[in-house]
Amino acid sequence: MKERIGVYICHCGGNISDYVDVEELGRMFHKEDGVVVSKDVMFACADSNQKEMVEDIKNFNLDAIVVASCSPKLHLHTFRNVASRGGLNPANYVQVNVREQCSWPHSDNPREATIKAAGLIRAGIKRVSHSQGLDNIELTVKKSALVIGAGVSGMKAAIDLARLGNEVYLVEKDFFVGGHIVQQESLFTTGENSKEIVLKLYKELKSHRNITLFTGATIEKVTGSLGNFHIDIKIRPRYINTKANYDLVVKALNECPVYVEDEFNLGLVKRRAIYKNYPDAMPNIPVADIEVLKSSPETMLKYADILDINQQDELLSFIAGGVLVTTGFDSYMPNSGEYGYKSSPYVLTLPEFNRLTELSGNKLVYKNREIKSVAYIYCVGSRQSKGENRYCSRSCCTSAIFSSLNIKEKYKEIISYHLFRDIRTYGKQETLYEKSSAQGDIYIRFEEKEPPVVEFNGKSNIIKVKDYLSAKMELEIEADMVVLVTGMVSRKESANISEKFKIPIGSDRFFNEIHPKLKPVETVIKGVYIGGCCQGPKNISESVQSSLSAAAKINALLKSGTVSIDPVTAVINEDVCSWCGKCEIVCDYTAIKERDINGKKIAMVNKAICTGCGICAPICPVNAIEIAQYSDLEIESMIDGFIQKIELEVKDESKESKEETEVLKMKEYPQLWKDIIQKIGESKKTIPQLSRELSCKSEIVTYNLMTMNKYGIVTAEGMDEDEAYYYYKVKNR
Amino acid sequence: MAKVNPKFSAEIKKYGADDFSACFNCGTCTATCSLSDEKTSFPREMVRYSALGLESEITSSLKPWQCYYCGECSTDCPRKANPGELMMSLRRWLTAKYDWTGLSGILYKSFAALLISMVLVAVGVIAVAFAKDFKLEEIIHFGHYFEMYAIAGVFALILLPNIIRMWYFAVIKPGKKIPFKVYVSSMADLFIHMFTQKRALGCDNNQTRWFAHFILVIGYLTLLFTTVFLDWFSSTSIFVVVLGYVVSAIVFVVTFFFVLSRVKRKTEATKHSRPSDWMFVAWLFLMGITAFAVRLFIDMDILDMNLWLYILHLIILAQWALIIVPFGKWTHFLYRSFAIYFEKLLEGGK
Repeated sequence: MKERIGVYICHCGGNISDYVDVEELGRMFHKEDGVVVSKDVMFACADSNQKEMVEDIKNFNLDAIVVASCSPKLHLHTFRNVASRGGLNPANYVQVNVREQCSWPHSDNPREATIKAAGLIRAGIKRVSHSQGLDNIELTVKKSALVIGAGVSGMKAAIDLARLGNEVYLVEKDFFVGGHIVQQESLFTTGENSKEIVLKLYKELKSHRNITLFTGATIEKVTGSLGNFHIDIKIRPRYINTKANYDLVVKALNECPVYVEDEFNLGLVKRRAIYKNYPDAMPNIPVADIEVLKSSPETMLKYADILDINQQDELLSFIAGGVLVTTGFDSYMPNSGEYGYKSSPYVLTLPEFNRLTELSGNKLVYKNREIKSVAYIYCVGSRQSKGENRYCSRSCCTSAIFSSLNIKEKYKEIISYHLFRDIRTYGKQETLYEKSSAQGDIYIRFEEKEPPVVEFNGKSNIIKVKDYLSAKMELEIEADMVVLVTGMVSRKESANISEKFKIPIGSDRFFNEIHPKLKPVETVIKGVYIGGCCQGPKNISESVQSSLSAAAKINALLKSGTVSIDPVTAVINEDVCSWCGKCEIVCDYTAIKERDINGKKIAMVNKAICTGCGICAPICPVNAIEIAQYSDLEIESMIDGFIQKIELEVKDESKESKEETEVLKMKEYPQLWKDIIQKIGESKKTIPQLSRELSCKSEIVTYNLMTMNKYGIVTAEGMDEDEAYYYYKVKNR
Repeated sequence: MAKVNPKFSAEIKKYGADDFSACFNCGTCTATCSLSDEKTSFPREMVRYSALGLESEITSSLKPWQCYYCGECSTDCPRKANPGELMMSLRRWLTAKYDWTGLSGILYKSFAALLISMVLVAVGVIAVAFAKDFKLEEIIHFGHYFEMYAIAGVFALILLPNIIRMWYFAVIKPGKKIPFKVYVSSMADLFIHMFTQKRALGCDNNQTRWFAHFILVIGYLTLLFTTVFLDWFSSTSIFVVVLGYVVSAIVFVVTFFFVLSRVKRKTEATKHSRPSDWMFVAWLFLMGITAFAVRLFIDMDILDMNLWLYILHLIILAQWALIIVPFGKWTHFLYRSFAIYFEKLLEGGK
């Protein structure tokens, strides 16, 4: 119980005191139980006032403070630091918001605003009187990071983390690194070769000795928490004898007579059963499709020297201090019949078409027909106002336009139709759109409610569409190939990853960050970060940006070897708890586990995992769980404080005479006001003049001058020559 | 159901349009056009039809004729798609489309064909002069009759059928039933617009250009009347002689400034001159100045010694009457006024 409390009520220059009678409140709380100091202050956050508060804490031997000012989002840390500097525990500080909650919303009723403020402040005083001094929880962290997914985002992040001196485990599910980008021949907007980029990244990856790359590997089990994640992975075998003569391996790679469906080329061609995704695919070790090879004993026999059929799944475990998830996306797969997909032979998705154009020589041929015209249908699987994928996939417009430019360059005579809903080639990508339309590509705009209809007439695709750019005229387009510009969806496996790390999944089924602007790569799971397209559709630059910022975050976390986390967590009353397990079930973060203490079964909270969300507290049938800083005692005392009758002589605004406001005196003007008064002197000045002479931003001068005007310290007189600014002069009193 | 024809844009580019594919349909051109209103909205619509290659929509449209090329749309176009020049190209394309002989299209698209035809006409005139043993009297006599027959022939064989075709494309084919009464009651508009181009006054800051054009039309028609019906070169009436001098002077002075502005290329309308544009103003200028010179030489009694001057005049006249009038830009004079007439018909004469 705190009994020497300091209360500070802020004018906020007038933002609060114009409507809330802060002086009266200051006087009133003097009489409150436990309150030693109660003051109204012009700007609580001003340096001079902070110093005064620190001195008060020492001089009056205060044990807790309350500041009634603005939102804690703005100044909670400011005043917690004041408490610390005065020698108090930061948890013995409570901020009451009387600006956003009283003066601003209730400016029409100052009296009620003041009464509400009084109630809130009293609640704050009650709460702080029961506050406990809590220290941040210190954890040691292992200086190693796990990066899941070796696409361009994961590789870049791994390299940066390694360069900053961290041990990095890079886990890739596929046998080769690079992810989606290598399935596209060149990348917008620069036209760089994707395979060269990946090769360069791979070489860089390999040059760092503190990066361990696992390919063909999946996450099997995750335990532990921030600073000490215990990770188990499983590595699938490649079935290639590592001691085999490499020339023979290359020979097998080029000559193996058994063929299977080529997933890398999205089923457009077949590949050999001993394979690499593409010649330069890294790591430079082929993979043998052993199950397929087994059906051909003579091939098995032929390549017996290089195959090693006894290889088994390998299980490995390691500890990571932080985790970066860069698992990327899946391309949307249209349903059978969606815009003729699968029902017409000449309908492909954009990724498939990109593989086709890369594999094609000087003639673009598909299923024995030369393709001379291509119709791109945009937003397939994206922006579905009634479907599951409401989002825009961000990269597909540019990608489709870039493809159309590339094939135009390769096959001069080809005709491109773009059936779009909106073109979103934002930023620097806009030039591609300009180039494409200038080269004669035909753009036709449709609406979601009237989508194009694709029919196959035995010769080519006939597309019927209502063109919203031609007063909804019904148009018919004949195109040899229809390309569905498909967007991104979350990875099939992301549910699995989410389950292992407890990363929340949004309604769009991508991983959820905490805050799209302020915490864009953080998840609610401490120590687990997300980068790239697993968080939502992005283009390559944006993916790399996000994964690199996550890498920087992880580095900051791992750097010092310890991490300090907020003490707001669930606290178990060990005497009361008798372990029923209900709290464990409701906890989204698996922070609560059953423990045996001297033969008694009780719940234990892992403070490194607990986020203090509070869901366990009301579920406990014996009320054994409380949240630190939000204990029942604190909350109940706040309610008590708030409902207590306010005995306050609040001035009724209507009865208040005008002069009274005018002669309203303040104890001391802020320094800027003094400067302004001094600069104006006997003359009169405009805001730009003052701003120049005081070298102070004009917005700040304006704001302060307005407040001074309100208090009758200055007054406006006449305008300058251009009639743009008022002159201000100091009012004689 | 209209079928998209991607080859059309290549075709229309042969008539002078170049950058219209860059259009992203913002509609600035339509917003900025002082003649475009809710009823007749252009140029965006025509740009769109051209991009999609909707030939039948363009063929039945009268809108290209309602644009007088102030060029504001091209100046304001954020994509530099030059809609003004597209409208001009569509007028050329429509001229070719209306022309049943198909010669218009060939002459618009092929500069070589234009050159050859001009040379052939010149050779023909010289051949006639040769046949007349270079006797001035006879050649002038021939010239006078040639003018009359050429006008009648061109009108009957080329212009009238072409206007009927235009009427068919714009009024009959779209299936509009127009009462005969409306045909009569709308007639006034046809003539007002034919001689005044009144509608062009609606373009921003167009008064000077409109006035120059108006004077030229009046001058040209009067010159035509003076030479053909009043037989200027043979007339002794002082009134006819002076009138001829005045109107021929008007023709070459005004066209001189028109040629000059095309050389300077300062406005949108004069920036993109095609051979057909050059030919039109240049030949009008040459016609005016040679006619003036011929009559001057007659009055000074020195034409006998300068027989080739008259032959030159006749060559220019013949090229004008046989090529530029039936197949070239001269037809715009008719098509523009008939477009307004047909538009009025389609509105039911209101």
